[in-house]
Amino acid sequence: MAEIVAERYTGASIKRSEDPRILTGAGRYVDDIKLPGMLHAAFVRSPLAHGRVLSVDVSAARALPGVVAVLTGADLEAMTVQAPDPLLALFTTGGPTAEFTLLATDKVRFVGDPVAVVIAESRYLAEDGCELADVEYDELPPVMNAAFALDPSSPPLFANLGDNIARPHSRNEFGDVAGTFADADRVVDFHIDVHRHQNVPMEGRACVASWDADLAAMTVYAATQSVHITRNGVATRLGIEGDKIRVLAGDIGGSFGLKIGASREELAVAAASRHLGRPVKWVEDRGENLTASGQAREESFDVRAAVSNDGDLLGLDVKMVIDTGAYPGMGTMFPDIMQAMIPGPYKLAALGFESTAAITNKASYVAYRGPWASETFVRERVLDLIAKDLGLDPVGIRLRNLAARTDPPALMITGRPLVGVTSKESLERVAEMVDYPAFRRRQVEARAQGRYLGIGVATFIEAAPGPRGPDGALGSESMRLRLEEDGIVALFTGQMPHGQSHQTTLAQIAADEFGVPFEQVRVVVGDSDVVPFGLTGGSRSATMTGGVALHGARELKAKVLDFAAHLIEVSAQDLLITDGNVWVRGDPASAIAVSEVARRAASGQFGAEVDAALEVEATYDGGQGGWSGGTHCAIVEVDVETGIVKVERYAAVEDCGALINPAVVEGQIRGGVAQGIGAVLLERSAYGEDGSFQSATFMDYLMPTTCDVPRIEIEHLETVPLDADVNFRGVGEGGMIVAPPTVVNAIEDALSPFGVRIYEQHLPPARILELIAAADSGQ
Amino acid sequence: MADISLTVNGATHTGSPEVRKTLADFLRDDLNLTGTHVGCEHGVCGACTVIVDGRAVRSCLMLAVQAAGSEVTTIEGLATDGGLGTLQQAMWDSHSFQCGFCTPGFVMQATALLSDHPDADEQQIREALSGNICRCTGYQSIIDGVLLAAQRNRTLRNRER
Amino acid sequence: MKLPPVEYEAPTTVAEAIDLLAEYSDEASVLAGGQSLIPLLALRLARPEVLIDINGIDELSGVSATDGWVAIGAMTREYVAEESEIVADAVPLLAAALPFIGHEAIRSRGTIGGSLAHADPAAELPAVARALDAEFVVRGPSGERVIPAAQWFEGYLTTSRRPDELLLEVRFPAAGQGTGVSFQEVARRHGDFAMVGLAVSLGLSGGMISDARLAFAGVSDVPVRAAAAEDLLVGERPSAELFEEAARRATGDIDPPADLHGSSDYRKTVAAAIVRRGLRAAADNAARGSD
Repeated sequence: MAEIVAERYTGASIKRSEDPRILTGAGRYVDDIKLPGMLHAAFVRSPLAHGRVLSVDVSAARALPGVVAVLTGADLEAMTVQAPDPLLALFTTGGPTAEFTLLATDKVRFVGDPVAVVIAESRYLAEDGCELADVEYDELPPVMNAAFALDPSSPPLFANLGDNIARPHSRNEFGDVAGTFADADRVVDFHIDVHRHQNVPMEGRACVASWDADLAAMTVYAATQSVHITRNGVATRLGIEGDKIRVLAGDIGGSFGLKIGASREELAVAAASRHLGRPVKWVEDRGENLTASGQAREESFDVRAAVSNDGDLLGLDVKMVIDTGAYPGMGTMFPDIMQAMIPGPYKLAALGFESTAAITNKASYVAYRGPWASETFVRERVLDLIAKDLGLDPVGIRLRNLAARTDPPALMITGRPLVGVTSKESLERVAEMVDYPAFRRRQVEARAQGRYLGIGVATFIEAAPGPRGPDGALGSESMRLRLEEDGIVALFTGQMPHGQSHQTTLAQIAADEFGVPFEQVRVVVGDSDVVPFGLTGGSRSATMTGGVALHGARELKAKVLDFAAHLIEVSAQDLLITDGNVWVRGDPASAIAVSEVARRAASGQFGAEVDAALEVEATYDGGQGGWSGGTHCAIVEVDVETGIVKVERYAAVEDCGALINPAVVEGQIRGGVAQGIGAVLLERSAYGEDGSFQSATFMDYLMPTTCDVPRIEIEHLETVPLDADVNFRGVGEGGMIVAPPTVVNAIEDALSPFGVRIYEQHLPPARILELIAAADSGQ
Repeated sequence: MADISLTVNGATHTGSPEVRKTLADFLRDDLNLTGTHVGCEHGVCGACTVIVDGRAVRSCLMLAVQAAGSEVTTIEGLATDGGLGTLQQAMWDSHSFQCGFCTPGFVMQATALLSDHPDADEQQIREALSGNICRCTGYQSIIDGVLLAAQRNRTLRNRER
Repeated sequence: MKLPPVEYEAPTTVAEAIDLLAEYSDEASVLAGGQSLIPLLALRLARPEVLIDINGIDELSGVSATDGWVAIGAMTREYVAEESEIVADAVPLLAAALPFIGHEAIRSRGTIGGSLAHADPAAELPAVARALDAEFVVRGPSGERVIPAAQWFEGYLTTSRRPDELLLEVRFPAAGQGTGVSFQEVARRHGDFAMVGLAVSLGLSGGMISDARLAFAGVSDVPVRAAAAEDLLVGERPSAELFEEAARRATGDIDPPADLHGSSDYRKTVAAAIVRRGLRAAADNAARGSD
C-alpha cells in the first residue's frame, strides 16, 4: 500500500473555498435575502447640518399606497429602550455621554441625520414616501470645524453636554520631556493635518430584521464584523433578552471597520419589524453610505520635535485635536492608541501627548482600517521634514533613529517592548528592491529634462496583536472544534470574514494540525446561536484565531486519538492522523478513515467510560504575540503644470510573522495600499463651511481605480519567531497605515527643487499647484 | 407597467416591471438573479455590469423595459455545466477577489474585454477595467486573473490548430 | 437611490417622437443612451413627467459621409462611432476624443446625439462639436432646422433645441489635407469628466498654419472657442513661443467655475498648459500627416 503522505497547507497560497460561489454570483449578501412578507425601509434625513426639529408631519407619507408604516423619532422612542451604542458600550473613555434619541426628535445634528423611517412594499415606494414627509426645521448655526467646536461660543450640539467637547483635553508625558527639549540642539514646530475620508465598502450597511411574534424572537440578517455585538445592541435597544435574538451573517461586501455593532438605522429597522410583525429590509444606498454611515481620520496635530544636529529624533510633543462628528462614535478612543504607537520602532526618548476630541455637525467618526494611522503619518512626515532641514537622506535618518533589535528588547517610551521588530531589515531591503542610488541618479537626469520624480519611504509597526510583554494580556479568543459525524472537522468561530478569507486560512491551519485534507475542514461563521463571541477587527485574527485553530485542532486531535485508541485497542501514542486517516505508526494497512471514526463515535454505542463527544472548546491567549510592520517605498512623478501625480512604482517589505496564505496576505497589503493612495490623491469627505455635504456621490468622492494603483511589489521578511507554535501576525491594516506617508514623502521629494514642504495628507492636483506657487513666492 | 419579454442566460423571461425599475433591480428582484450587484446606482462603480446584446453595460443605467427583446447575460450565465469558465477559473487561481461584492461586474466586463480583445495586455486590461471599482484588492490580483485567462485561452486556441 | 415615478413612451418613428414632444413639451425628457439622464433621475435631481425613449427609432442611427461632411445619427452609440472607419478617416478630432468618454460600458449605451443634447460643458463631445463648427439637425412640428454649434450651446445643460424638437443627426465637416488634431484632458482619473479639456484641430500647409480651431471643455457653462488664440495662430509657423503666446491669449479672459475638484485659478493655469500641449501634439500630427 502506498505510504500515506501528509499535505502541508500552511504557508501555501491555497485557493479559497469562498471563491466558487463568489465567482458564479452565488454569494449571499444581505440584499440577496428575500423573506415572505418582507418590507423595505428608507429614511427621511435632515438636509441641514444643525437645526431644531419643529414639526414632523408624515401623514401624506402614510397615505401613499404601498407605504405600510412611517415611524418618527418619537414613535421609535416609545417602542425602544434608551441604550448606549453597542460598540461604544465595549469601550469607556470616561468622557461625557451625549444624550440623544435613536432617530432625531428635537434636533438634527448633521446632513443626513435620520428623522423618520418609511416602511413600504418596495424600496422605490419607500423613497417616494420619504419625499412626502414634511419636516419643519429651525436652522441653527453649524459647527463645521474642530476649532469652532472647541470655542465656548459655539452652539452646543447636545443640550446635556453644554459644550462641544466629546472628550476633554488630557496630557500624558513619557520620559523627561522638559529636559529632552531643553537639551536638544534644535526644536522645530510643525502643524500637520489629516483630512476626513471614509471606509466606502462596495456594499453599504444593510440588514433584514425579522420578528416572529409567536416566539417573541427576532432574526437579524446582518452585514457585521461581529454577530454577537450586533445581537447585544439589538437586544438592549429592543429591551429583550439576548437569547431571543439570532444574528446571521453570510457574505459581506467589505467593511474596513464600518459595520460593527448596530447603527441607529439598523436598530430602527429592528424596532419596525417588531412593531409590524413582518420582516423589514434596509440596504443603504451609496448616497447614505457616503453621507451618513460615518467618516474617519479628521485630525490635526501641533508637533514639536527635539532634534540633534546629526538627525536624532530625541523627543516629540504632540497636541492633537480629533473631529469626531456629531453622534458619539469611536473617535474618543483612538487618541490613546495613537499616543501609545507614535514612537514606532524608533529610539524616541521622550513623548508628550495631548488630545482633545471635538463634536461637530458632521457624520460620526467611525473606525476605518488602522484607525490610529495618523500616528505613523505624523511621525514619518516629521522624520522627512527634519531630514530636509538637516540635509540628510530619508533612508539614512531612519536607519539612524531605528531602535536596534536587542535582547532584552528595547522598550518604546510608551511601554511596549520592541521584541522581534525587523524594521531595519525592511528599510534596507526596500531600498535594495528599488535600487535607491540608481533612482537618485535617474531623478537628477529627469529634473534636467523638466520632469519631477520623487521617492518616499515610511516605516511602521502594528500591534497585530503586539507582543505579550511585561504588562501581559493580549486578550483571548475562543473556538469550538468538533469532528462531525461525516468526518468533517468543523471550526466554530466568532470571526466574521468580510474579505479576510478566514474560511480558507483557518481551514489550512486546522487541516495541517489535525491531519485531514483541506476540503475536510469547514469553518462555520455568522450565526450568533452557534459561534462563540468574536469580532473581526484590529488585525488580530491571524494570531488569535490562527492560534486557537492550531491549538484547538491539536486538542481535538488528542481527543479523537484517545477515542480511536479504544476502537483500535492500541495506545493513543501509537496513533497518527494524516491525510484524513487514523493509523498505527509503522502500519499503513491499519488506516481507518477519520470519517469512520467519527461515525462510530456518533453511533452512541459507547458507555460513559469512553469519551465519544469529539468536540473541544478551545481558548487562546495569543502566546507570545508579536509585532507586524515593515517599510514601504513609492516612486512618483508629479506633472507640475497640472498637479497630476502618478505613482510609478510601489514596493513593500513586510514582516507579518509566518504566513498562513501568502496570496491572502498580499491581497490585504495591496488593498490597504490602494486605500492609502486613494486618501492622498483622490478621497475626501467634504463639508462646506455652511454645513453642506459635498461628496455624496461617486462623482465627488473619488475612489482609486486600476489606473491609479500600480503593481505593488511585496517581499516578506523572514520573521523572528517568538512563539513555539503561533507566529502568524496580522496584516489587515498595515497597508493603509503606512501608504499615506509613503506617498506624501515621495511627492514632497519630487517637489523639493521648488522648496515645497507638505504638512497635510490630501494632495489633489489643485493643491499641488498651490504648494508649488506658495513655495515659489517664499511662503 | 409594461409587459416585456427578454432572454436572460439563454432562457426566456417575461415580466411586467414598473417603467422606472432599472434592469439591475429587475434581474435581482423579479428574476431572482441576485448575482448582479448594486453598488452606487449612478453608473460609476460598475458592480451592476451585465452583457446586453453582446455589449457590457451598466444595468443600473438601463430601464428594465429597455431590455425588452434583448439577450442578457449575467454572471449566473457564465458557468459551463455548473463548472467554471476559463476566466472564472483563472481568477480563482489568481486569488483575484476578497469580499466578492464587485466581482460580478469585473467578471462581466472582463468577459466582454476578452471577447473583443483576446490578447489584451496589462495596460489595455487596466484601462478596460478602470470603470469598475474594487475596495479590497488594489486590482493587481484581478488583472493577473484576466491575464492568466487570456494566456490559457491562447493555449487552447493553439491546441485546436 | 431609486427613480421617481415617471410615464414612458417608446415611439418607433421620428414622426411619433415629435408628436409626443409636441404634446408633453418641457414635461418630457428624451431618453437616448441614458448614461447622463438615468443618474439624474436616480438622484431625483430630474423629475420629468414622461420619458420619451427613442432607442427604438432605427432611422436615427448610422454614420455616413457625403460631400465633405460626416453625418452621425443622434442615436449612434459612442462605441460605434469609436469603431467607425469613416470617423477615423474623416473626423479625426472626434475619433481622438471618443476614448476619453467615461468607460467602455458607458460608451456601449451612450450616444453621440444624447451627449450633445445633454450639453455638459465638461464633456468631450461638446468641445469637439464647437471646435469643428458641427451642425445640428433638429426636426419639430414646424419642420427641420440646421443649427450651427456656435448657436447650439446656450448655457449649462441647455441647448437651443426647442422642447418640441428632436435632434436627428449631427454633421461634422470632414478634415482636410494636412490636418492634425489633439484632444487633451486633465481629469482626476482616467475616464472622469474633464476638469479642463481642449479639442484642437490645426491645418498645416507649406509648414504654415492655415487653419486653427481650439475649443475648451470645463472653463464655462458652455464649450468655449479660443478665438483670440486662433487668430494669432493662422498664418504663422508652429513654434514653442507661438504656442506659449496662444496659451496666454486663449486663457486671458476665461473665468472657469470652481468646484470640489479645482479652483477657478487652477483651471485657468491648466487650460494654458493644455493649449501648449495640444498645439504641439496637433502640429506634430499635422506634420506627420502631410509627409
